[in-house]
Amino acid sequence: MKYVVIGASAAGLAAAEQIRKTDSEGEITVLTNEAYYPYSRPSISYYLKDKVAQKDMPLRRKQLFAERRINVVTNSEVTSIDRKEKTVKCKNKKYPYDKLCIATGSKPFVPPMENISGKDNAFTFLDFASAKAIKAAANSNSKAVVIGAGLIGLKAAEGLVKICKSVDVVELAPRVLPSILDDKAAKIVKKHLEENNIKIHLENTVVKVKSKGRKITGVVLGNDKQMPCDLLVIAVGVRPQTELAENAGLETERGIITDCKTMQTSDKDIYAAGDCVVSTDMLDNSKKIIALWPNAVNQGIAAGSQMAGGEEIFTSSYSVNAIDFFGMRICTCGLINAKSDKYSEKISQTENTYKRLIFEGNRLVGFVLINSSENAGIYTSLISNKVDVSTLEGDIMSSPSLFLFNKEVRKSKLTGGVEV
Amino acid sequence: MKKVYAREQYCINCRLCEVYCKTNHSKSKDVVKAYKKESPSPVSRISVYGDSKASVAVNCRHCDDPACVKACIAGAMTKDKKTGIVSVNESKCIGCMTCLAVCPIGCIKISNTAVKCDLCSGEEPACVKNCPNKALVWLEVGGGAK
Amino acid sequence: MINYIPREFDIVRDRERCIDCGCCVRQCGFDCHYFDDDGKTVVADSTRCVACHRCVDLCPTGALSIRKHVCDYKDNANWTPRIQQEICRQAATGGVLLSAMGNPREYPIYWDKILLNASQVTNPSIDPLREPMEIRTILGRKPEKLTAVKKGKSQTEMPPQVMLETPIMFSAMSFGSISLNAQKTLAIAAKNLGTLFNTGEGGLHPELSDWSDYAVVQVASGRFGVHKEYLNNSKFIEIKIGQGAKPGIGGHLPGEKVTVEVSNARMIPEGSDAISPAPHHDIYSIEDLRQLIWSLKQATNNEKPISVKIAAVHNIAAIASGVARAGADIVVIDGYRGGTGAAPTRIRDNVGIPIELALAAADQRLRDESIRSRVSLVAAGSFRCSSDIVKAIALGADACYVASAPLIAMGCHMCQKCNTGICNWGIATQRPELTRRLNPEIAHERVENLINAWNHEIKEIMGGMGINSVDSLRGNRLMLRGIGLSDKELEILGIKHAGE
Repeated sequence: MKYVVIGASAAGLAAAEQIRKTDSEGEITVLTNEAYYPYSRPSISYYLKDKVAQKDMPLRRKQLFAERRINVVTNSEVTSIDRKEKTVKCKNKKYPYDKLCIATGSKPFVPPMENISGKDNAFTFLDFASAKAIKAAANSNSKAVVIGAGLIGLKAAEGLVKICKSVDVVELAPRVLPSILDDKAAKIVKKHLEENNIKIHLENTVVKVKSKGRKITGVVLGNDKQMPCDLLVIAVGVRPQTELAENAGLETERGIITDCKTMQTSDKDIYAAGDCVVSTDMLDNSKKIIALWPNAVNQGIAAGSQMAGGEEIFTSSYSVNAIDFFGMRICTCGLINAKSDKYSEKISQTENTYKRLIFEGNRLVGFVLINSSENAGIYTSLISNKVDVSTLEGDIMSSPSLFLFNKEVRKSKLTGGVEV
Repeated sequence: MKKVYAREQYCINCRLCEVYCKTNHSKSKDVVKAYKKESPSPVSRISVYGDSKASVAVNCRHCDDPACVKACIAGAMTKDKKTGIVSVNESKCIGCMTCLAVCPIGCIKISNTAVKCDLCSGEEPACVKNCPNKALVWLEVGGGAK
Repeated sequence: MINYIPREFDIVRDRERCIDCGCCVRQCGFDCHYFDDDGKTVVADSTRCVACHRCVDLCPTGALSIRKHVCDYKDNANWTPRIQQEICRQAATGGVLLSAMGNPREYPIYWDKILLNASQVTNPSIDPLREPMEIRTILGRKPEKLTAVKKGKSQTEMPPQVMLETPIMFSAMSFGSISLNAQKTLAIAAKNLGTLFNTGEGGLHPELSDWSDYAVVQVASGRFGVHKEYLNNSKFIEIKIGQGAKPGIGGHLPGEKVTVEVSNARMIPEGSDAISPAPHHDIYSIEDLRQLIWSLKQATNNEKPISVKIAAVHNIAAIASGVARAGADIVVIDGYRGGTGAAPTRIRDNVGIPIELALAAADQRLRDESIRSRVSLVAAGSFRCSSDIVKAIALGADACYVASAPLIAMGCHMCQKCNTGICNWGIATQRPELTRRLNPEIAHERVENLINAWNHEIKEIMGGMGINSVDSLRGNRLMLRGIGLSDKELEILGIKHAGE
């Protein structure tokens, strides 16, 4: 049996490892267009601010791949998939497959801006190479501008503020972290970011860059305001990387379509997992790209297992985000910007903490926690297990613990039902 | 694998497990110094929840299929194949706390990095050794939160 | 109102060592320790401290100590501080003074005025580590005579007997006065040691039915929890006439201690006061007692010995003789230092006589009347160590009841606050948050260790005397000598003075 996995981040790695767990014999090849063995992409911002060293970036020890007989081929960008011949092509090399997994993840989206093409000091921020390039370009005199106040943009800004003279963040939406925060929470976060020397420009965007040759010297905002800039980070968002699948004639719609359980695509020998796949949000049954690590790992596990004849399936999708900025801890999950009568909410707030729980009837369907994320996983489990919160004993708004549950449930969670 | 199990019927809310866990994970291994002298202050990996009427100590279940390991975006959280111990590599951990956001029993602590029970690396855990009422036991039984 | 009574103790905290972990705050049932207004710093209010040492023993840094609070009164050998304080307490409340555990007053402790013998030259001592040493004890009426032995087998009809692997039993402590965990501890230890525990008059909790073969069940004046299964699920039955700590006085378990569990075991309504009358209202004579003994034998098919427990009072010898003649198989005599969960202080401290004198007198009287073999004599009322037990056996006891010593092994620090219902060690309380503190898994081992240690010491002392069986020690007063005792005391004890 020959397995090929395209992509070597969360989903690709999980798929390869799961294949090996299920099939000890088959030949596994993981193709990555990057120069590195699987590493932690989210760590790149911590690499930028010197919290994580390059040696701590890899997700696994290199020997482990040899031990598990997983052949990782770096610098191998797949250019096409031949479904008839059952091969994938990298430049001039072909890899035959019996089962294929597409885990190509996402690519940065660069919005149209006047005079942006061919500039040396404009960067995206998604992989290790880009982090290295930004780190090399930034210095204590740099005036950095980050376009986008999402997770990636703000993480880049947090890293840069330590190095650069100034950091400005431009965001089109009326709040920071628009996809994971509500308005009130975003205000608290924005204030905290500003206190840490990041300037935020909301409801604005860069329409044009000014340059000297290949070097950007400034940006012009939508309101005609001009800012000097010698380091531009474009982080307005990502798009699923689906060209390979599309060109191979697989069904796609923004992302690759799978059956959401076995992760099989419209071709029975091709599976897909991770940020390039369309998922169903279990909380409101909407189809969306849930570009999150745990989701990618679980989809990878399901795909890998199914490819090798195993029985793991992917069961639930919902978003969980945990992140910190300058010591402020943000943790959100589920439907946080749900706008409908069927949802209700409970909020408690102090000067620098915020807790908002979102309910649909008697079910918790989302939360936003700022500096109050102790034991947040208990809330997450209430969401994923669709627990009827009226059966809980403690006050759901207080710091969650196993004492939210009755004695029997608490005991079974702690001992797995074993008498000790 | 041998894990720590809490017996709520004998938990007396003294919270000495927290004291001795913190001490065992300190530099000095001395209770007074661990609390009063050391900086950064060591963190207890076990917590007693509840009150005098009912209390129980919660620490990592070292699940068979740990959500925290799957969720770790830095590859810092791993489950040792031989010992079954789920532990954090503190130099790799970026402190994002995604693990905490998915742990169904609430046993991961926030410090500069994620901090959690390491079962005292295989020795009789300090919490068990020092529990005055055998409310914590170190036993080989199956099960655990999924 | 000013209460006129200075506090008893001072809680001393070594701030250098205190880590403010709050363990003491959460352990003190009397709320002496608390977090200060900052919510972080632990401080203490000594006024309620009873010196139970729960905080001291659990403090992880040894930062706490308890000292006697010094507040001198003007010297007066008559109006002592204790007397003055008791007056003030009564002046404030108008009530009967209540106390717990045994009589703490400075009456003579005869055990400490009796010395033991050892062998030298003329008869060899025995090394218990090399040679068998028998401490197995059998209780119950002995047959009047042996009838024909056929093919090596006795044809004697034996009255019901109880075999113990040690002459030490656990005396009566009811579920209600002590926690279920405490009683369970004694039950487990009794089974593992091959001896018996005693339910007191609180009935047998269903959780202890597994240990009914190691239970002595009491029938007392309140008849709480007495029914046919209760009587039959036992090793023997004990009719409680009196208790050494409060002879002539009934019992009173306040309603707040009568929890659902206690009410079920006692067969009384939850929350109602459990009042044991001073006398049994069906016993006004030896003949009445005989009738109850007979009834209990009928109820148990004559299969179980019946014991009668009486407090050591004046004329104890004659009373013991009457009880023996009423048909009791075992007579228990409880001396005035015996413990209690609650007793009026004046009664506890002033009524009754020492077990040493009562035991010697009763044993002698039963021998004089040639009815000693009809009954086993069990002594109770404060045995503090193995040599007390050896001396009691030499004075004539078949076995001894102990209670305070195993309670101390479980954690009791003799703070004498059993009557408050707050016991920080989980023994004399029914509050779930406190009873939980006594884990029988730990406590039974400690109690067994204690009794096993005493067993070893008893064997060692007997070996030194050249005696290899507890039966040879029983009533062997030649092994005892008095020291510093008057002729009258020696006469009652039936022993010679040291040097004789």
